Amino acid sequence: MTENLEQQTEEFHLLDPRTIKLWRMNYLIGFGIVILATLAAVISIGYAAAEARIWLAIGWMALTAICLWFSFWFPPRLYRSWRWRIDAKVLELRHGRLIERTRLIPLARLQHVDLERGPLERLFGLASLVIHTAGTHAASTTIPGLDAETAARLRDHLVEIGGDDAV
Amino acid sequence: MPFENLTPPPVLENLGHGVKVFEGRLHPLTLVIGLTKYGRALIPAIALVLFGNRWAGAPLLFFTLAGLVATFIKYFFFRYRIENGELITQEGLIEKRQRNIPLERIQEISIEQGVLHRLLGVVDAKIETGSGSGAEASLSVLSRAEADKLRQMVFAHAAAIRAGKTPTEENSAVEVVAGEAESVVVCRLGVKDLIVAGLTSNHLLSALALAGAVWNFADDLLPDAIYAKTGKLISEEATHLAAQGIEWAIVVTVAGIVAVALIGILFSVVGSVVLFYGFTISRRGDDLQRRYGLLTQRSSSLPRRRIQVLEIEEKALRRLFGWATLRADTSGRSREDSDDNKGRDVLLPIVSVRELDGLLPNVFPDVNLADGEWRQVSSQSVMRETLELGLVCLVIVAALFFWLGSWWTLLPLALVPLTYWLYGISYRQLGYALGEAYLRTRRGWLGRSTHIVPINKIQAVEIHQSPFDRWWGMASLSVDTAGQAFTGGGPQISNLPVAEARELARMLASRAAVTEYKW
Repeated sequence: MTENLEQQTEEFHLLDPRTIKLWRMNYLIGFGIVILATLAAVISIGYAAAEARIWLAIGWMALTAICLWFSFWFPPRLYRSWRWRIDAKVLELRHGRLIERTRLIPLARLQHVDLERGPLERLFGLASLVIHTAGTHAASTTIPGLDAETAARLRDHLVEIGGDDAV
Repeated sequence: MPFENLTPPPVLENLGHGVKVFEGRLHPLTLVIGLTKYGRALIPAIALVLFGNRWAGAPLLFFTLAGLVATFIKYFFFRYRIENGELITQEGLIEKRQRNIPLERIQEISIEQGVLHRLLGVVDAKIETGSGSGAEASLSVLSRAEADKLRQMVFAHAAAIRAGKTPTEENSAVEVVAGEAESVVVCRLGVKDLIVAGLTSNHLLSALALAGAVWNFADDLLPDAIYAKTGKLISEEATHLAAQGIEWAIVVTVAGIVAVALIGILFSVVGSVVLFYGFTISRRGDDLQRRYGLLTQRSSSLPRRRIQVLEIEEKALRRLFGWATLRADTSGRSREDSDDNKGRDVLLPIVSVRELDGLLPNVFPDVNLADGEWRQVSSQSVMRETLELGLVCLVIVAALFFWLGSWWTLLPLALVPLTYWLYGISYRQLGYALGEAYLRTRRGWLGRSTHIVPINKIQAVEIHQSPFDRWWGMASLSVDTAGQAFTGGGPQISNLPVAEARELARMLASRAAVTEYKW
């Protein structure tokens, strides 16, 4: 991050590298619940049907392995697809592995900006910025995985320059 | 107009600085309308309690009575006024509810008049703001004259506030209204136009709607025994037909389809005439007013600067005869189920494309149709669309071939060159034109849809690139605006060369950034 946000015109910024860890943790927790729930189901079915036990166990282990693998494999790739930049007029974000989405928001259209920090994000010193416009499909835009300090500065900057529209 | 003398006189006053300009309450006929609404349910409810199932009847009676009481409370305790640049409504007996709506946020005032309302000369008025969740305030019922006056007041004052004039004694309500421009009729549709609209609308849908309505109606009325009988009859007839040979079955099926289609056409023509009878769109200053309806009359008033996107929709059949439908999105309007059969989704149900050029300046005053030349999408898009369609065809045909094993199943593949030719013809009409203040986009192969969006109404620009897009080096661009509901997803351009898409997106976003957006 350079000091002056307004001077960053051309180059894209990546998210904070800690985001990879955050996303891995998120996936592990999410999948963990699924895996535990399936384990409970597998045990209760296996208790009743002795002959299916081995297949249930194999199935459950395969599911666990896939979930674990995905949790480690996917976040770095998603991370590399994410980039954003801001100049005096436009905020631009780009992300997506399979379908790449680019969104450009004229800064004059900002309605309000939220800074969000969940418990995990706080743990990693990260924050998400949620930018609201009066639009329909793109009414709110999230930049995840920003360094907390960068996020706060970016928010202050956006609040200062944007949102001078009559509402 | 009957019952005119019952109207409570709207109080026009200028208190000191003229802050309170208009005050009123509901029309006394609110009680009559409430009585007819709940009174109808009252008799069956009483009958049920007296002679039928008491457990079912008691709650019904209770709710009917509660509704009646609520009507009385609403009538006697509802007040509204315009004060300090706000429309203020007050209601409630025990818990007073007050709602303040800033005048400049009012998007639209729509007025609806059912058959009973028309007999009595009263209307329902709904005040819509940019909150996006239906009507902000509902004034039910007002006298026609009072509703018109309210509408005039609201928009005149909102205009005065926008112009920076605080409501003072000098520009009091009367003056502001007097300064209003004359109302000019922009377009009026005759019965002939509406018949054309009905003939060219989607018949299958209306036929299905009709069938659904009949089925529902029958479901309520007919005892179950009739279903059993009909079912038996149909299955008997079917076996009978099958016994007579395949030719007969085909003839009967075709006849059935034709009958359903004819009923559908009739239904949509009648529906179109009933809904839009006497359709008139007129403009008074900055205010677009629409008025239509044979049985239930509706009118709505919409400041044209609220229009975010205009769509000129030319469905294949209409396009063939040079007809189009105009649709518009206004900020903060979300689509509601209750809007579907009220004609609120169209700005103008049918219009000849020849008249469009003259009509557009009424919607966008500074639109210049010669501004910005049309640019076509990627020249490879015809090949791409054909190949993608061909691929889908191939998969289906291959599956059918292996399943049925007949060479005839390969026949649909012969359609692929035909679609190539069709795409080739339509390709020339796809693209966009970027002008000084407006972006126009055009999409669709057989039918066509043109979107016009003022650049200062752009909220965000998006580019999508799917794996197929990446293969062809293309991308699609879409423009987000406020309140997209009726214009089929807003302006979109597919199959743009990716570099051009990025450049266009950046140009649109940075040009939107230096304009000012007003609700």
